[in-house]
Amino acid sequence: MNTKQLSFIGGVILVIAAAITLYASIYTLDEAEQAVIVQLGAPVGDPVTTPGMHFKTPFIQEVRRFDKRVISWDGDPNQIPTRGEQFISVDTTARWRIADPLVFMQRVQNERGATMRLNDILDSVVRDKISATDLVEIVRSKDWKISEADLARVQLSGEEDEETLLQEVKTGREELVKSIFVQAASQMPEMGIELIDIRIKRIDYVEAVEQRVFDRMIAERQRIAEQFRSEGEGRAAEIDGDTKRSLSEIQSEADRQAEIIRGQADAEASRIYSEAFGADPEFYAFLRTLESYPKAVGPSSTLILGTDSEYFRYLRDISVQKGASK
Amino acid sequence: MNRQGPQPSPRNPLDDIDWDAVRQYQKLIYILPALLLLALGAYTSYYIVQPEEEAVVKRFGKVVAMKEPGLHFKLPFGIDTAQMVPTARVLKQEFGFRTQVVGGRTSYRKDQQHRDESLMLTGDLKVIDVEWVVQYRVSDPDKFLHQVREPEKTLRDVSESVMRRIVGNSLGSDVLTEKRVQVATTSRVELQKAMDYFDLGIQISTIELQDVTPPETVKPAFNEVNQAEQERERFINEAEKRRNQVIPRAEGEARKVIAEAQGYAAKRINAAKGEADRFASVYKAYRDAPAVTRQRMYLEMIDKVLPNAGKIFIMDENQTSPLPLINLGDSKTSLPTTR
Repeated sequence: MNTKQLSFIGGVILVIAAAITLYASIYTLDEAEQAVIVQLGAPVGDPVTTPGMHFKTPFIQEVRRFDKRVISWDGDPNQIPTRGEQFISVDTTARWRIADPLVFMQRVQNERGATMRLNDILDSVVRDKISATDLVEIVRSKDWKISEADLARVQLSGEEDEETLLQEVKTGREELVKSIFVQAASQMPEMGIELIDIRIKRIDYVEAVEQRVFDRMIAERQRIAEQFRSEGEGRAAEIDGDTKRSLSEIQSEADRQAEIIRGQADAEASRIYSEAFGADPEFYAFLRTLESYPKAVGPSSTLILGTDSEYFRYLRDISVQKGASK
Repeated sequence: MNRQGPQPSPRNPLDDIDWDAVRQYQKLIYILPALLLLALGAYTSYYIVQPEEEAVVKRFGKVVAMKEPGLHFKLPFGIDTAQMVPTARVLKQEFGFRTQVVGGRTSYRKDQQHRDESLMLTGDLKVIDVEWVVQYRVSDPDKFLHQVREPEKTLRDVSESVMRRIVGNSLGSDVLTEKRVQVATTSRVELQKAMDYFDLGIQISTIELQDVTPPETVKPAFNEVNQAEQERERFINEAEKRRNQVIPRAEGEARKVIAEAQGYAAKRINAAKGEADRFASVYKAYRDAPAVTRQRMYLEMIDKVLPNAGKIFIMDENQTSPLPLINLGDSKTSLPTTR
């Protein structure tokens, strides 16, 4: 090996060393990242939040990267009693971000640590607030209003919990969530965290309560069904009754008209008779009587006539005359 | 380097290398990496943006440009990076069910996990099962990528929360029926507001309520109500049918009764008129010769009566009554004597 070779190898090593040094003093930050520069364990300067290429002292400074974006926090569903002692399962979700990476790094180290602290704080705040609130205040919002028509309709369908329905909402869901947010957010800055948003994702009855609610709903539906049926029967009976009434009306009206017609006819006939017979009532009586005899006397009649009757007058007179002439 | 001719001794290990051969390949040692570098550079210096996409171009991690669909060039070796975001595509999130397309056939799946998504409390503290779909579009790819770490999860969480707030502020029976559309519209507005608050770069197109039903265990009871409602209609219809059968018949009968009465009236009046006319004629004749006519009429009557009578007894007024001898069994009438 001669000097030429040595100098070549030395040159190569120098270039490589320079490259490594350059590489160690340059770092890039993504749009979604921020960083704290740590020099031998101690943070140096302000956190770096602008994306792009940056420089640092090589080898002794290191880059601790943190997410700059909004991060999700998802709590486990909690069983919490409301103020009315009703157990509900509350599932909350929150959004937070690392507002001060330096403080964040010092207090909670990383996202895992942050999540654990958030679990403690948020769960406890949610628990406090929920257990001090009535169920209706959690479920409904401030503008809950039930109109007269709605109330009438709901009552018609057999619901009994009018009191619950009419119960005025004093705070409502939004206010409740807001108060949870305010209280939770106040504990965040000491961790270098900004709480962006917290919301109740789900509220459910716990299993035992849910079954009772279902039973109540079923009972209510059955009442409504029963009401429909009896309504139908009632309407049918009403129609049947109406039918019967119409029938009697139609029949009696017909009978009435028939009687009137008959009566008028009888009266008319009687008028015709009296007008005709009035000319000679005595003759009418005579004629009418004569006419009735043939009708009254038939083959089964036995007539007993006195000889003094008009008809037999001559029969006797003649025999008398005969005897007298002898 | 060692350009001296071959010497037999002393033997240097380097002398064994065939330097001519080395020199022959020396160029290649430089050219090959250069070629590789060039290829890599070429490969990493362009990108293609699909028609439904938009590209976010970052230099050393900093956003420097947005690119439309087409072929574009960038600085190679990861100095520039391009991320494609499908901004023109309408994306969809399903709540309470999942659509599965298997072999061109669409089916819907609903597991316990999906049920948990869709079961919620109503304002009257009942439980209801609401399935819905959120359709959205990425309106700002830069924000979509860099504002929130899990934009889809955030969208889902907020959508669930919003839907529950609105349903919790409504009557269950309303959500099942007339307020469906209103619930969808209100939740869209509220969800968009939240998206804007998070600066998520998402535009909500629509929220559509899918199946809104009572919980599974309560469904039979709801069906029973529907049945009962139909039963009610059936009862009423049947009663009306009965009425329609009976009333027209009764009306017909009523007309018959009246017609009969009218018939009677006509007959009665005609009879009266006829009799009156006859009387008038007879009376006219009688008035001309009363005594004779009277006598004649009487005799004519006797003519008619006597032949028809069953038995005739003629008694002298001086004689004792024959009554004990006569069987009066079949006699009905005795003709009174005319005076």
